[in-house]
Formats: sequence, structure tokens, C-alpha cells
Amino acid sequence: MPQHEHMERHRKLHGRRFDAEERDRKRTARLAHKRSEFAQKVHGLRAKLYNQRRFKEKATMRKTIAQHNERSNKHANDEAVADGAVPAYLLDREGVSRAKVLSNTVKQKRKEKAGKWEVPIPKVKPVADDEMFKVMRTGSKKNKAWKRVVTKCTFVGDNYTRKAPKYERFIRPTGLRMKRANVTHPELKTSFQLDILVVKKNPSSDLYTNLGVLIKGMIIEVNVSDLGLVTTSGKVAWGKMAQVTNNPELDGCVNAVLLV
Amino acid sequence: MPVYNFKNMAPVPSANDLVDIVLTRTQRRTPTVVHPGYKISRIRSFYMRKIKFTQQTISDRLTAMLTSFPRLSDIHPFYSDLCNTLYDRDHYKLALGQINTAKTLVDAVARDMVRMVKYGDSLYRCKCLKRAALGRMCTILKRQKASLSYLEEVRKHMSRLPALDPNTRTLLMCGLPNVGKSSFMNKITRANVDVQPYAFTTKSLFVGHTDYKYLRWQVIDTPGILDHSLEERNTIEMQAITALAHLTCSVLYFMDISEQCGYTIESQCNLFRSIAPLFANKQLVVVINKIDVQPWETLEEEKRRMIEELVKESGPNTTLLTMSNVSEEGVSAVKNTACDKLLAARVDSRVSGNKVESVMNRLQVVFPTARDGIVREACIPESVSKERERMAMQSSNKSKKKKGSRIGYAPTVEDEEEEDDTPSESEDEMMDGEAGNSGRKKTARELMWENGGPGVWAPDYREQYDLADPEWRFDAIPQILDGKNIADYVDPDIEEKLRVLEEEEEQLQAEYEAANMEKMDDDSLDEMEKVAVGEIRDRIKIIRQYKERPGGNNRPVLPREIRGRTKDKHDEDAKLSADAIEKRMEKYGVDASKMVERGRKREREDPRVRRRAERAAAADKEMEDAAANDSDEEMQDGRGLSKGAIKRAKKEREQSVKREKSLARSHSRPREPSQMGLKDESMAKIAKKVESKGQMRWHGGKGEGDHTQSVHLVKWMNTGKKRNGTHYCR
Ligand SMILES: Nc1nc2c(ncn2[C@@H]2O[C@H](COP(=O)(O)OP(=O)(O)O)[C@@H](O)[C@H]2O)c(=O)[nH]1
Ligand SMILES: [Mg+2]
Repeated sequence: MPQHEHMERHRKLHGRRFDAEERDRKRTARLAHKRSEFAQKVHGLRAKLYNQRRFKEKATMRKTIAQHNERSNKHANDEAVADGAVPAYLLDREGVSRAKVLSNTVKQKRKEKAGKWEVPIPKVKPVADDEMFKVMRTGSKKNKAWKRVVTKCTFVGDNYTRKAPKYERFIRPTGLRMKRANVTHPELKTSFQLDILVVKKNPSSDLYTNLGVLIKGMIIEVNVSDLGLVTTSGKVAWGKMAQVTNNPELDGCVNAVLLV
Repeated sequence: MPVYNFKNMAPVPSANDLVDIVLTRTQRRTPTVVHPGYKISRIRSFYMRKIKFTQQTISDRLTAMLTSFPRLSDIHPFYSDLCNTLYDRDHYKLALGQINTAKTLVDAVARDMVRMVKYGDSLYRCKCLKRAALGRMCTILKRQKASLSYLEEVRKHMSRLPALDPNTRTLLMCGLPNVGKSSFMNKITRANVDVQPYAFTTKSLFVGHTDYKYLRWQVIDTPGILDHSLEERNTIEMQAITALAHLTCSVLYFMDISEQCGYTIESQCNLFRSIAPLFANKQLVVVINKIDVQPWETLEEEKRRMIEELVKESGPNTTLLTMSNVSEEGVSAVKNTACDKLLAARVDSRVSGNKVESVMNRLQVVFPTARDGIVREACIPESVSKERERMAMQSSNKSKKKKGSRIGYAPTVEDEEEEDDTPSESEDEMMDGEAGNSGRKKTARELMWENGGPGVWAPDYREQYDLADPEWRFDAIPQILDGKNIADYVDPDIEEKLRVLEEEEEQLQAEYEAANMEKMDDDSLDEMEKVAVGEIRDRIKIIRQYKERPGGNNRPVLPREIRGRTKDKHDEDAKLSADAIEKRMEKYGVDASKMVERGRKREREDPRVRRRAERAAAADKEMEDAAANDSDEEMQDGRGLSKGAIKRAKKEREQSVKREKSLARSHSRPREPSQMGLKDESMAKIAKKVESKGQMRWHGGKGEGDHTQSVHLVKWMNTGKKRNGTHYCR
């Protein structure tokens, strides 16, 4: 009975067939042709998936080639370094090419020009009432139509108490209530799941603000006490603004970026 | 006893493959066509189904994975320790734990997203939510990349572990590297382990099997162990240590006295001492190997003493043997000794265990008590004793030292001593004896050889026929006579059969006569009655014939529920209608009105209601009985029940009263389970209707899952005139 690495063992005892290397070489040589044949033949969803995968493979291939090339690319301007005797403290300096400096300053300027209160999504798309609310007919004959059901995700504070259900005009379904948001810190490039504290003003309507409707572009305040962020004055910040970047009712979760 | 077979674990797909598997399955096994014009509830259920199906597939796959991997705490300690050294117990548990967490996470995601879909108000929204749900589930799977690939590696390795049974008879070889363990393994089994003249050729446990005393023995070859502390040992050595620690076996400790292996005898002795605790409770054989290079006798006195001391100090249970794989000297002696020792130990442990008691109790050896003082010896016929004497004479003539002949006799105690040294001689003599004496009856085989061998002469078996007259033995009997096989007409029991037949006929005759006597009584009937009787008999005959008609029941039968209760003209066996019953009963002169009435009543009332009423009546009766029991408790005390039972009953009653008081809700009978969650009767009705509708679907109606493409009839191709070319010319 074969045990353990029986294939390797067999090879060690009996060797490989005499043309093994040749076959391997041929197989790899044939691979490109086989692939191309398949790529031309395939269609439909399979083609889509295949092309996606191929695209990714090629992209990484290109990247690695570029990386290898980078070694031969000259970033530093070697001529800028003075010949001859150089004081020790200047030894590890390299001349920097002019183009690099320019591009960096341009980038810097562009960043500064952007206003301090610039947010990632500049505008909250106005939402019409009839998109926001669904009419709920009530009464035994279903002839009254004064109740509204909110169709978007909402934030409902912890200490919210319902009115008597009978007289409640706006219904926020529990299934659509959100308590937490996935907040990305743009500089750390990491995401955290944080509690929502408050929903700030919705420019379309005060009513939406009061209801705590969450739509794309809204500003919310999130609880960052776990992150240990510190304000400029040295206090530990625990509430911070963030902007919602997705449509929560379509994604089933709230994504936001921290405004820093 | 569990059999350890890790070979049938299903392969673990990589994370990417798993995602592909899951998504493809969802795409193929759930309906794919949905339109915005559908009712929103239908759209929602369409997408909810996709989400739930994906979640179900994932959790099925992951559960299968989790169950197929053995739990380290459940398997034999040997295997669990081996897994620990090979795969690292913590890592293994962590990987499985992560898979389990992934499963719960996927479940949670699916639950949340399904809840969101319930509020979806458009196809677009539902679709987005589905997309998000599947995406999140797949992300969770992708995160398990490392665990899945680790588990796949583990599975592959496990499936190639030798099929080693930790409970069977086992020989285990151990020692420093290169001392000749694997060579010995190859000598006694067919395992074909790699042997090379460098250390650590064997990197893992190998299993082979050998036979001894008609038993099957498992032989385990281990990698070499170096002499250092347990912490310093690497994975390869730890496998050997694990095997030593957990298997009850006979251990062969190999020592290389030629020192060709690169280790001195002293260092080999040191290793022995350092692993000696592992030899406790085991049968130990110290094997001195490679005596072809360095014979034991010519070994330096000092070294020899060292080894002998080692054996002595390790206890009385240790044996010292010498062996060589090259000259094959002592190989089988080593094997036999090790096997014998283990076998004896196993039998000992069986006997000393308490299990054997129950068997021993039942065993009894009885010696008959002597009736009188007379000695009764075996009766040997005179001819036999004469023959024996003659044989003895002959053999003593041939070789003086022979004591007696043994031809045809089982070896006796006295004979045995001599058996070993002169086996060939006694065989010779046997041949001579056969050929030489003519007084003995010749066997058929001998005759055959005398007369020309097989194929030329065969014994005539007719000689041995045992017939009434021995002269008949050689009579010729033809096989076929007058075109008939006479064997068909030979029946030794013919007389007996004839007698039985005759008896039966007599009995029948008697019965017939008795029946005739009764017939006489029949005559008391008048004409009318006779006709009626005849009619009845005819009808019975017809019915019987109808029942026995060919093709009786071999056809599909509708269950009665579907068939309905009324008479079906295509099926005579169906229940009769009221009219038919009445008519038929009238024919027999019976009033059927009551029967019909009762049937109607039963049909009108709901069977469930009827059953409930019956049950309620029974319960009421019980209650009454219980109440009666309560009232005359004192009376009952003395009778029937035991004291304990009475006490228990009383306590229970008290407690039930307490419980009753503590309950806020009234203690009325709960509703039917089928109506538990429903508001009132009307809701129940609606629920029932919906349910039956659902069942109709079950009976084969077309559902959403039925993926059919109907023939698309194009109007312009299928309408209008088809003659004279007009069809094509429009
Ligand atoms: N001369 C001699 N060489 C042997 C004997 N047994 C094994 N060897 C050699 O010792 C070397 C190591 O044997 P091996 O069975 O692989 O030892 P292991 O590492 O204990 O399994 C091989 O080159 C064998 O040929 C023996 O009895 N006599
Ligand atoms: Mg070996």
C-alpha cells in the first residue's frame, strides 16, 4: 500500500519516463495556444468571468514587469551629485530630478486649494416625498390615507419612544433601522464599524432630518471613542462627522467616510 | 472499535473555488426569470429565495467540512498526538473554528438581508439587496482562504497516513538512525521502505504486515531518534516518540554493534536509557544488528559488558538477540521472539482482566471417578500388533538406534524427542515400508500407479456397492431404455406413495358419503327455498370467479381520498353510493335506510370534530374516575398501590394545585396546534384554503421553479391561408 509521499518515492526508485522534460516543455509551450483557443470559443457568463480573471492576471503581470523595470528606471538624477570629494553628511544625498519636484508641488497645491469643508460627496440628491414615503391605508374600510411608511433606512436613537401606534403618522419599519455604520478613515485607509450618534441636517427637508433618514451624501455623527482619536486641543474626541457614501436601502448597510 | 480511516474525507475546495461552486449552484438551482411587472411579493420571494439558497448551500458545504474532519479529542490518543505533532493542534482547531464562525456569520448576513428584502419596494431595490447579500457572503468565504488551504493540505496528508490500527498486535522498531530498522522491516514484511546509507531516510511512520502463528501482525517502522531532550526533538523524531508512547506493542530496540551507523555503542546505550520510560509496560527486545560485520563473540569485552548491563538493568522483561539483515542470520528468531512475548503478554492481560471471569465460571473439567480397580487398556487387534512387531523388527534391522515405528500414528511424547534430529530418515523409512510389505492392503492410489497411472487405470467403485445380493454389483444398467431415461422411473418410495394415495382415496370416499347423507336433509327445503339456495350458490361462484379473474390487481390504483367515495363507473371496487347500497340491500330483502342514514351522518360531520368529541368523552370519564379516587383516597390506601407510589401521587397533586394557583392564565384546553397562531375561526378558514392551494401546487402544478420554454408561436407564420403560396407571399 502506498504510504506518505508515494509519488516522489516512486520517482526516486524508478525515475521518470525518458521524455518527461520534453513533454513538460511542450505542454507549457502549448498553453498560450490552448488559452487563446478557449478565449475565442467561450461565450456568455463564463466568458465574462474568464475575461475578468485574465484581465486581473495580466494586470498583475504588467505590474510585476514594471516593478522589474523600475530598477533600471532612473528616478534619481545621478548627475546632480557632485563629483570628487564630498563631506560625509552629504554622502547619502541623491540629486532629485526637477520633474519629480514639480509634480509633487503641483499635487500639494491642488490639495490645498480644496476648501477645508469640502466633503467627498458635494451634494445630497433631493428625494421627493412620494419616493420617500409609502401611503398606508387605515381604517376598517381602508379609506383613510394619512399614515406614511418610510421606505428608506433610518436612524432611530436609543431613547426614542414611540407614540401610540394608532396616532403615529410616520412609521419607520424596524427592519430598516440602522444603528451602526462602516466608517472608513481616509488617511489610515481602514474601516471600522461604529455606532451612529446623530443624523445631521438633511438639506431637502426638515422632516427627513427629524425622521433620521439615511441617504447618500448625508452627514452623520459617529462614535469614535474606541479609535482613540485626539483633537487638536488634546482632548479625546468621541463624536466625529462622517458622510454616508452609499444608498443604505440598496446595500443593506451604511458606509461612510470620516471627515477629517 | 473505531477504524481509523482518514481516506474518505471529501476534498476541501479553495476559497475561490468555493465561491464559484456556491454562486453557480445558486444560478442553476433557482429560477432566473423575473420581471418588474410581477407582483411585488413575488419579486421579493424570488430574491429572498436566492439569498436563502446561497446561505443554505454555504452552510451545508461548511458543515460537511466540519464533520468530516476528525475531532482530536474523539480519536485514539495516538492519532490525536500524531496530528498534534504533524499539523499542530492549535492551528488545526483554529482553522476549524474559523470555518465554524464563517458559517454563523453567513447565516447572520442572510438573515439580515432577507429582512431587508421584505421591505423592498421595487425590483431594482430587491436585486441590489440580493447582490449585496451574495457579495457579503462570498467575502466572508474569501476571508477563509488561509484556513481552507491549510485544511486541504491537512486532508491530503491525513489521507496518506498509513492505515495503522492502534489496538492490534504490533511490533515497533526504534533506535538511532541508520541502525537497520527499515532493512529489518523489509525483511519481514512487504512494505518496501526506502533504505539508504544516510540518516533520516525514513521520515515518517511506515506500516507493514507479517504473519506469525496464523495471526496477522502489524509492524511499524519509525524514523530514527537522536539522543537529546524532548524539546529539541523535531517533527520526524516526535512521530517515533508518539508511536512509542501510545501503542501497546512489542518494541524492538535496534543497536548497531559495527558502529557503521556513525554512533558509538555508548551513545546508543545512552539513547536507550533516555527513552527507557517509554518502554514501561511493553515487551522489549534489544536487537544487536549487523553481526555480519562485527560478530557478537569477537566484540570488545568492555562494550559487550556495557550492553549486557543495559539489558540487565532494564528489567527481566527484556531479551537480548543478535541479528544481521545482510546474512539474514537471526531475522526470524527476532521476529518470533518479539511476537511470542507480545502474544503471551496479551493472553496474560486477558486472563488477569475481570472479563475472563464470566467465561471461566462456565468452564468445568470433569474427571470420571473410577468404577473399580480393573485396568482397562486399549484394545489392539492382533493383526495390528503383529504388524507393529514386524515393522519394529525391520526398522531395528535397518538402524539400531530407532526405537519404534511411527507410521500412521500421531507423534507421542517419547517420539517427539527424536523427531527433530532425524526427520529425513523416518521419511525414508516410510517410503520403504510402503513399498516393502505385501501383507498390507494396497490403496487405490498404489494400484493406479501399478497399472499405468492416472488416466489409464481407475478404481472400479462398483466393488463397494452395498446391494442385497452382491452378485448384482456388476450388472449392466442401461441409462436409456426404449427412448426413456430409466432414472426417471426409479422411485424407491413408490410403495409408500401408493399407500398414501390409497388412504386418501378412501378418506375422500367416506367424506363424499357423509355429504350425501346431509343432502338427504336438504330435501326438507321446499321448492322456493331450493331455488333461493341455488341462486345464492351461483352468485357466490360468480363473485369468486370475478375475484380470481386474471389481471386482478396489477394496475395502478388511485387512493380512496382522490377517487372519492361515490361509485365510479370505471371502477367497480369503489365505494357504493347510497342509492346503490339501498338497491342492493333491497334485493336481499334488507331495509337499508338506517345504514344509509348513519353513513350520511358520519360524512356530514368533520372527522376531526368527531375524533375530538370521542377524545373529550374519554377524558371526561378519566376525570370522573380521578375525582372518585380522590374522594375515597383513604379507602384506597390499604389496597393496590405501594406506599411510595401513594406518597408520590399525593405530592404531585399538591404541586399541581400550587402550579395552578401560580399561573396567571386560565387552564383551559389549548387550541388545536394547527390553529395556534390564528385569530379566529375565519382566519383559520383562510389559512386552510391557502394551505390546500399550496398542496395543489405540490400535486404537480407549475411553479416558479419549473423552468420551461413554451413554443413561441409567431402569429404571421401561423395564421392565414396556407395554400397556393399565399402563406409566404404576404
Ligand atoms: N552490514 C550490514 N549492513 C546493514 C545491516 N542492516 C542494515 N544495514 C545497512 O545500514 C544502512 C541503514 O539501514 P536502514 O535500514 O535504512 O536503517 P534505519 O535508518 O534504521 O532504517 C543501509 O545502508 C543498510 O544497507 C546489516 O545487518 N548488516
Ligand atoms: Mg529507516
